[in-house]
Amino acid sequence: MGDFDFVYITQTVGDGLLFGSTYALIGIGFTLIFGAMGKLNMTYAAASLGGAYVGLAAFTFVNAPALVVFLVSALASGIVGFIAYLTCFRFIPIHNHLAALMASIGGLFFIDEIVIHTTDGSPLTFPAMFEDVMFELGPLGIRGDLLFVFAVCIAATAGLLFVLYRSRLGLATRAVSQQDVAARLCGIDVHRTNAVTFVLAGLLGGIAGAMTAAAVGVLSPLITIPLTVKGLIVTVIGGLGSIPGAIVAGLMVGALENVFLYFRGVNERDMYVLLLLFVFLVFRPHGIFGSAISRD
Amino acid sequence: MSYYLGLVQLIGIHTLLGLSAYVLMLTGQLSLGQAGFFAIGAYSAGILTVIFELPILPALLVGACIAAFFAFLVGFPALRVKGLMLVVATIAFGEFVRLFFFNLSWRVPRDGIEVGPDSTNGFREIRYFVANGWSAWEITTFVWVFVILVMVALWWMDRSRAGAVLRAVGEDELAAQSVGINLTAVKVTAMTAGGFIAGIGGALYAHTATYVDHLTFTVLLATFAISYPILGGLSSVIGTLVAVIFIQGVLVEGLRFLGDWRNIVFGLLIIAAMNLKPSGLFDARTARILKRAASLGRRG
Amino acid sequence: MSKTSISIITLAGVAAATLIAFGQPAFAASERTVKIAGWGAKSGPLRSFGVNSEAVLTAAVKSINDAGGVKLGDGTMVPMEFTYYDSACNADQAISVARKVESQTDALIGIGPTCSGAAAAMYGIFQKTVDDASDTGLQFPILTDTAIRPGLAKKSQWTFRNVPNEITMYDELFSWLRTQYPDAKTIYGGTETDQAHSKLTFAIVIVPLAKKHGFEWVGGGIEGVTGKVRDGYENVLEVSKSSNWLMADTNFSVQARAFKKSGADMMIVSSHPFTTCGMLKEMKRQRINPKVLVGLTSSSSAETLKGCADAAEGMYIPTGFAPITDAAAAVASAAQANGGFADLHSAAAWENAHIIKQVVESMGVMAKPDTLQADRRKVRDGLEALVSVNGLMGEIGRVQDEGESVKPFVFVQAEGGSWEVVHDPR
Repeated sequence: MGDFDFVYITQTVGDGLLFGSTYALIGIGFTLIFGAMGKLNMTYAAASLGGAYVGLAAFTFVNAPALVVFLVSALASGIVGFIAYLTCFRFIPIHNHLAALMASIGGLFFIDEIVIHTTDGSPLTFPAMFEDVMFELGPLGIRGDLLFVFAVCIAATAGLLFVLYRSRLGLATRAVSQQDVAARLCGIDVHRTNAVTFVLAGLLGGIAGAMTAAAVGVLSPLITIPLTVKGLIVTVIGGLGSIPGAIVAGLMVGALENVFLYFRGVNERDMYVLLLLFVFLVFRPHGIFGSAISRD
Repeated sequence: MSYYLGLVQLIGIHTLLGLSAYVLMLTGQLSLGQAGFFAIGAYSAGILTVIFELPILPALLVGACIAAFFAFLVGFPALRVKGLMLVVATIAFGEFVRLFFFNLSWRVPRDGIEVGPDSTNGFREIRYFVANGWSAWEITTFVWVFVILVMVALWWMDRSRAGAVLRAVGEDELAAQSVGINLTAVKVTAMTAGGFIAGIGGALYAHTATYVDHLTFTVLLATFAISYPILGGLSSVIGTLVAVIFIQGVLVEGLRFLGDWRNIVFGLLIIAAMNLKPSGLFDARTARILKRAASLGRRG
Repeated sequence: MSKTSISIITLAGVAAATLIAFGQPAFAASERTVKIAGWGAKSGPLRSFGVNSEAVLTAAVKSINDAGGVKLGDGTMVPMEFTYYDSACNADQAISVARKVESQTDALIGIGPTCSGAAAAMYGIFQKTVDDASDTGLQFPILTDTAIRPGLAKKSQWTFRNVPNEITMYDELFSWLRTQYPDAKTIYGGTETDQAHSKLTFAIVIVPLAKKHGFEWVGGGIEGVTGKVRDGYENVLEVSKSSNWLMADTNFSVQARAFKKSGADMMIVSSHPFTTCGMLKEMKRQRINPKVLVGLTSSSSAETLKGCADAAEGMYIPTGFAPITDAAAAVASAAQANGGFADLHSAAAWENAHIIKQVVESMGVMAKPDTLQADRRKVRDGLEALVSVNGLMGEIGRVQDEGESVKPFVFVQAEGGSWEVVHDPR
């Protein structure tokens, strides 16, 4: 395989770029919580898919339209995000990163297993938005639903940046993320601010989960761990705490995956993606854009 | 009996896996790549006993040294990244190793069948123990000799100046550096030691299970590796052992009677444990209490 | 509550849990029953395997007991009893359960673990050759339900499988498709390469046998593939390396485009339900409509239809189970009543329970506490001596030196959300 056919390769890259927007959405969630608390929330991808499952239940039982499915997913994942904050972060000493990380790993197992129990682990069909829309540009084809995911990705980012930089809540979030002691002295409620960040990230995660499920067309608990790993890789390549970085990194990973698959085959594909991460770690350890909030 | 002995072997092997992460954590490095070193130990030692027909002891030591060598190599670039970056970098390393073994096919004919690693089909017939008539007791003793050696070595190190140096680096790198501690040497040494210990664990695992494939060494296994020291606490090597017994003995095997609910309870108990005892089930305080109780018992 | 008391309570809790967990009596000497143990994935992403197997096994044991139970060596009729364990489709846990059942229970035989990866690992801890005193492996008979992967059971003389023979199945399927689609000439396909079953069956069985019946791989065939099973299988994987995928993949655009570009008359999607659905949906998006679509045996299940009934429409799969006989239909509905599905994987559990009954009766098993080892050995010898048994869809033959079975099968096609039998070669 892998002959140099220009149109074919352009199409391959294009497909990958668009699919990468689902990785980007997951990456944004990780990066947001990292930016706010300096912590890793391992429940994130599981909660996102969990939200998508709740959305799917709305579709299955009351035959809700796709838009409602997406909103329900977001809401459910936001609630899970809040619960994850309460159970895995709120009551654990702020400087004990290991305990919070471990608790959130427990949360990941818990959410995943709940999903597995409810569905018996069976793949379930997920309603797609604009499934039949295919834009034809000469010999190239662009999937309408992925274009929509891409648009949501941009919109979500714009919304997030607006909240972070133009609202009081955002000011508080940024204050807490940069200097939590000083923020506290200024009367900012750190716990409340963190909780809001988790809910925000959760809402976004629900959309990401539903988008991913819609893009594949099937939902299965098989993808939780791989999606977690991919989200983390995207977060690091994009630079910890950098939202635009997560987007660019998500798209890039999506596109390169397809290119590696096309030229080197599926067995080697992921090795090249990991090599890409190593290259970044060595030459650009702060990610694509570097990070405004540099914490370790 | 073979069931309990099998469980005791598994606990020993997972203790080694946990201790390999423990050494790194003392220096403040959190690695989710220990499954990679474990895999290197498992495959190397398996190849040595199956394809080169070496006895178990040299195979195990060479396997552990190969794992240590790769850990040494990983140690240098790992210096550049800290915290979460290191977590992700080591996940990537572990996955890379897994994918390498996923692609590795090295088969030789032996007694009419082909043996050796065979990519997706896994690496079968690592039957050194059973083929040489080892009883379950002998295998268990063999495993635990290594577990105890490693635990004693780490415990001794922890009480010596070396332990203080490691912990100093873990607590505050700048301060450690300012009193003349060579960060590079300390961190790379810890990484290498971690790789060696994980390598022994992997070699033992491959031979007790008789079969490995790439799906054994996923991020999930690496997650277990860090879970043990975090759950057990970093105050002593005993904590890791307590945590392994808690997870493998109680949560995985002991709760089997819960059937369907076992895995759900599993996650909840981890969350509960971290909320109640964020510094680990066996933290410094618990150690003190036990010590006091022991000395009271002796006096009374 | 002080921190000290939390410490004490936590430690006490751990200690108590350990005691509770291991303090259970190993096994009580009750009245005589024929005990069997089942295990499979009841947690983890492959939970449906365990749920289905347990449901079918429950139904099977009930049917045996309703008919009077099992006749022991001294003529007593006793009930059959089973316990089902969760081994999560995980190698360590399958090994651990096998050891537990062998040493802590008086089960005569084990049925499990359905997943071929776990089975491959588990078989390794069994004694290779019976009566070889120098081999300290487990001496306990296993009759695995399914776990399809070429050549697994011959790892030990204690392990047997009741699994469809994919070589005959695809051989017959392509021969039949040849007559149905006389103008279909070329084939193309892909597989899930990180699952041994899908990958091996694709490269070793499907592609060569398609060639045997005159379906040529697009572009003039693959070097080394002669139409004989296994010939040139490495080249099959090499030419399809960019049209293959992994079990947890979510993006199939490149693979589907390769399918489209091939323009083949017949397309093969050799994978398990989740990625089968992902791939079929992407093929649908890219408007790929091959004349013939063929799937992997493992996808002939309810999962595929739950995941993508629309996209799977028209796909042909050979399967060792379909509710076409009265017995099979009864099992299908009994399984559903127990909250599971009877399919190609789980229906084997039904047959296994009945095979065990037959073996126990013919070998004169005593089922007394002091005859446990002898009984297990009798069951093993009985399984080895079996020539054929009655399965749900007809006679199941045994390939003795490999511990495998030859089962009857049919061809099904996805039609309007269910699997319809389109040809019955029995």
